[in-house]
Amino acid sequence: MSGGLPFALRMARRELRGGLRGFWVFLTCLALGVAAIAAVGSVRESIARGLEREGATLLGGDAEASFTYRFASDDERAWLASIATEVSEVVDFRSMLVVERDEVERGLTQVKAVDAAYPLYGEIRLEPAMALADALAGNGALPGAVIAPALADRLALAPGDTFRMGTQEFVLSALLTGEPDDAGDGFGLGPRTLVQTEALENSSLIEPGTLFETRYRVALSEGADLATLEDAAMDQFRDTGLRWRDSRNGAPGVSQFVDRLGAFLVLVGLAGLAVGGIGVSSAVRAYLDAKTEVIATLKTLGAESRTIFAAYFAQVAALASLGIVAGLVIGGLAPILASPILEARLPVPAAIALYPGPLLEAALYGALTALIFTLWPLAQTEQVRAATLFRDVADRGRRLPRPIYLLATAALLALLVGAAAWFSQTWELALMTAGGILGSLILLALAAHGIRLLSRRLARSRLVRGRTALRLALGAVGGPGGATASVVLSLGLGLTVLACVGQIDANLRAAIARDLPEVAPSYFFVDIQPDQIDGFLARVEGDDAVSRVDTAPMLRGIITQINGQPARDVAGEHWVLDGDRGVTYAESPGARTTITEGTWWEMDYTGPPQVSFAAEEAEEMGLQLGDSLTVNILGRDIEAEITSFREVDFSTAGIGFILSMNPAALRGAPHTFISTVYAEEAAEAQILRDVAASYPNVTAIRVRDAIDRVTEVLAGIAAAVTYGASATLVTGLVVLIGAAAAGERARVFEAAVLKTVGAVRGQILAYLAVRSALLGLAAGSVAIVAGGIGGWAVTTFIMGTPWAFEPVSAIVVVAAGIIATLLAGLAFAWRPLATRPARVLRARG
Amino acid sequence: MADAVLSLHDARLTLQGNAGPVEILRGISLEIGQGETVGMVGPSGSGKSSLLMLMGGLERATGGTVSALGHDLTAMNEDALARFRRAHMGVVFQSFHLIPTMTALENVATPLELAGHADAMERAEAELAAVGLAARADHYPAQMSGGEQQRVALARAAAPRPDILLADEPTGNLDGANGQAIMDLLFGLRDRHGATLVLVTHAPELAARCDRTLRLADGLLDRDTPQRSAAE
Repeated sequence: MSGGLPFALRMARRELRGGLRGFWVFLTCLALGVAAIAAVGSVRESIARGLEREGATLLGGDAEASFTYRFASDDERAWLASIATEVSEVVDFRSMLVVERDEVERGLTQVKAVDAAYPLYGEIRLEPAMALADALAGNGALPGAVIAPALADRLALAPGDTFRMGTQEFVLSALLTGEPDDAGDGFGLGPRTLVQTEALENSSLIEPGTLFETRYRVALSEGADLATLEDAAMDQFRDTGLRWRDSRNGAPGVSQFVDRLGAFLVLVGLAGLAVGGIGVSSAVRAYLDAKTEVIATLKTLGAESRTIFAAYFAQVAALASLGIVAGLVIGGLAPILASPILEARLPVPAAIALYPGPLLEAALYGALTALIFTLWPLAQTEQVRAATLFRDVADRGRRLPRPIYLLATAALLALLVGAAAWFSQTWELALMTAGGILGSLILLALAAHGIRLLSRRLARSRLVRGRTALRLALGAVGGPGGATASVVLSLGLGLTVLACVGQIDANLRAAIARDLPEVAPSYFFVDIQPDQIDGFLARVEGDDAVSRVDTAPMLRGIITQINGQPARDVAGEHWVLDGDRGVTYAESPGARTTITEGTWWEMDYTGPPQVSFAAEEAEEMGLQLGDSLTVNILGRDIEAEITSFREVDFSTAGIGFILSMNPAALRGAPHTFISTVYAEEAAEAQILRDVAASYPNVTAIRVRDAIDRVTEVLAGIAAAVTYGASATLVTGLVVLIGAAAAGERARVFEAAVLKTVGAVRGQILAYLAVRSALLGLAAGSVAIVAGGIGGWAVTTFIMGTPWAFEPVSAIVVVAAGIIATLLAGLAFAWRPLATRPARVLRARG
Repeated sequence: MADAVLSLHDARLTLQGNAGPVEILRGISLEIGQGETVGMVGPSGSGKSSLLMLMGGLERATGGTVSALGHDLTAMNEDALARFRRAHMGVVFQSFHLIPTMTALENVATPLELAGHADAMERAEAELAAVGLAARADHYPAQMSGGEQQRVALARAAAPRPDILLADEPTGNLDGANGQAIMDLLFGLRDRHGATLVLVTHAPELAARCDRTLRLADGLLDRDTPQRSAAE
């Protein structure tokens, strides 16, 4: 290397001596991208640490053993007592809270019945403040209860009022404003009610077959080994249906949700970094274009291409390091500075601090992105020839860099995707996101090229004759050296992410909130006792407003083994194996059932147990006809052979069981019935009143309420993702402003020439405005197509719901594109308009 | 001069430099008649180009008056000047000053479009053909040589058939052969359309082709000679 690396470094230092003024787009783009990822990662890590630190409080104990449908046996109680310093028993189930006034009002509630030891850790907060034991003791005549404020508001209840659950009256002692183990309990369809377990004795709510769960929280002595205890519990009670959780992961649902959402937001952040990469690339290109003479001069003086490459690579590396460090400082400190707001608004505990892991991850992404987007322009320094200095016409044709640079770019890209997949722990999602970003970039690049060709053609067409501003704008968009490519790519990608999120959100909401109530039942009635089912059916089937009633016996069971092997070893982390599932039985498949493979058992079959399994889930789990499943129901193992697969459609919110067994297999097991009632909306209230009056133990879940609850959760997720996407858009705007600023000199020159040939300021302003608006329109339109394709792919292939183009969010995206480019363009229009032609033209002479 | 196309009376130009005000033109008075070809010569920094810019309304005189075709340019605002140039003037620069994002044809068509000519493109094509560049109509400035770019600039200046053609060292960036070709074209265009031509040049042989030569020195008109006298 001529002069070697020392010369290259000296050269880099000399060139950077001029300061960083020309590099603000470069630095801002990289810093913003890195900061967004670092901030999301830091918050995710803070929540993970918070959940870990508060594990025991969230769980309600150091460890928890839980059972479905039953209380712990004497053996199980004895074992738990032997390992614990204290044990607390909690019963969890859904019920209806009934208030009898002039009109009877009902509200679905998630009941937690507790003993005197509850809560083992943390504190219950009540309004008015009082001890939980006092609140639940009641007023002497009636047992006490505390309920969540949302439920009290809905039923207009205040402390001192009374209400009924099942057949038991309660007095409301206080409102429940804080529950330490709330996040660990998972998703509930109704607001919380807290009562003493012994107060339920006469409620007829905890009957054989009723769907309830018992949880035994244990406080352990200092230094107890949770892993050993879990092994011991599983060794002794695996087959009794005991499930084990401990404070190592106190709120697995929450922690998994936060982890997934965090991972997804980091991936969305990568889209922001890609947008930043375009800004970085444009900045480096512009910088190196301005250095053409310097490079040619250096070559004239004998510098080799690689020396020059090294000199400029060193400059870019120094700048990139600065941008990354700035991003890490912003991203790392932002959650700490915002911690009062974050801690107040997050529903889960967060230990907000500076964590090196997420910062390293963000730095790695930043470095890889900077390398990927600058290698190509840097490689083009090799194409500058010494003769450039003496040639009349500049050699502006861009050729591909040497294969080594293309290979290096591809390898860096693979490394970035690999890192994203490794950090996010979700290969599929990471690959899909990377594919989406890459696909969008390719589509946007092609679109930018197409837009230039089209603009060039339109500029010459008869259509724009006489429309000078439009013709000039089209000529500028289609001409060489314009900002078309970088604006369409950067703003376009930002808007694509926004359009994609908008399409997915709108379609998902449409599927759940608009389409689902059309096909979904009005009510789910659960916990209908066998002796109540005939009367229940007589009431609902005899109603003219009821169009359909589906009923099925229901038990709950856990699939513990597949072909004699632990189920998780065979089918991995499939959701069907998460906790217990509904199990039903039937003599015949029923009119609406489609058997996809195998045969249903014969009528009155009494042989070894057989099971019909949901076809789609069976395929995902790798199950075959003839496989044997061990299902633990109420502590009893039932081994059944899979003899058929059938279609189960969960999208209509109707009754759908993964497992359906032959009746003899479950004979004797206590169970209840579940029923779905499809009724006209006007008749829903009367049906509920009648059923609740006749069968107080039966819980009714109004599907519209459940849909509202799910929609609320989805809205929260959509908001989080939209914030993530907005970060991408902000970076896109920086690139846009950078492009407008970089083009200001060119606009000043154009304005001077146009004034010379007779253009007035109004015409120049119109030209600049139309030019900006055209770029925004182009970026927005391409974003709708790319975002639409992304939205369609996610909706169709991942969510499996029908897709329809959603015009409102699309119009917003196009309008945002036009407004953004227009504002950026017009912000830099002042100098071109104010320019005096002679000064500008002579300065360039 | 009764039929003066350009008329300057005590025209002055003072610019603010870093070290204080700089007097570029210190009181120029002259008249140029219709159809005249005038060469402006003088050493670098004498104020030739500045004087040309005043004549074109591209620079505003800081004192005195500058009139063109009977209109006082010093009284016009920026837009009025632009409209005046659109209707009556064509300007050619040493550095061509084509808009890089436009093709040769679009560059030539721009003043015609601004003037509202429906047949701007057809006329621009004809102008390009007249300077021998019909085949380069779709090329961008960066794809053309300096000589070709200057020919496009000439076509652009001549296309609206201006009354006044102003040229600021139009061959200054070109080699001998290209420079000669451009001058032949410039004088040919003037002869065909009968415009008044004012030309700034360093080359005595170009000045010699004009009817009249103005020599500037230190911001003042040093000599104003009809060509025959200058030759003598």
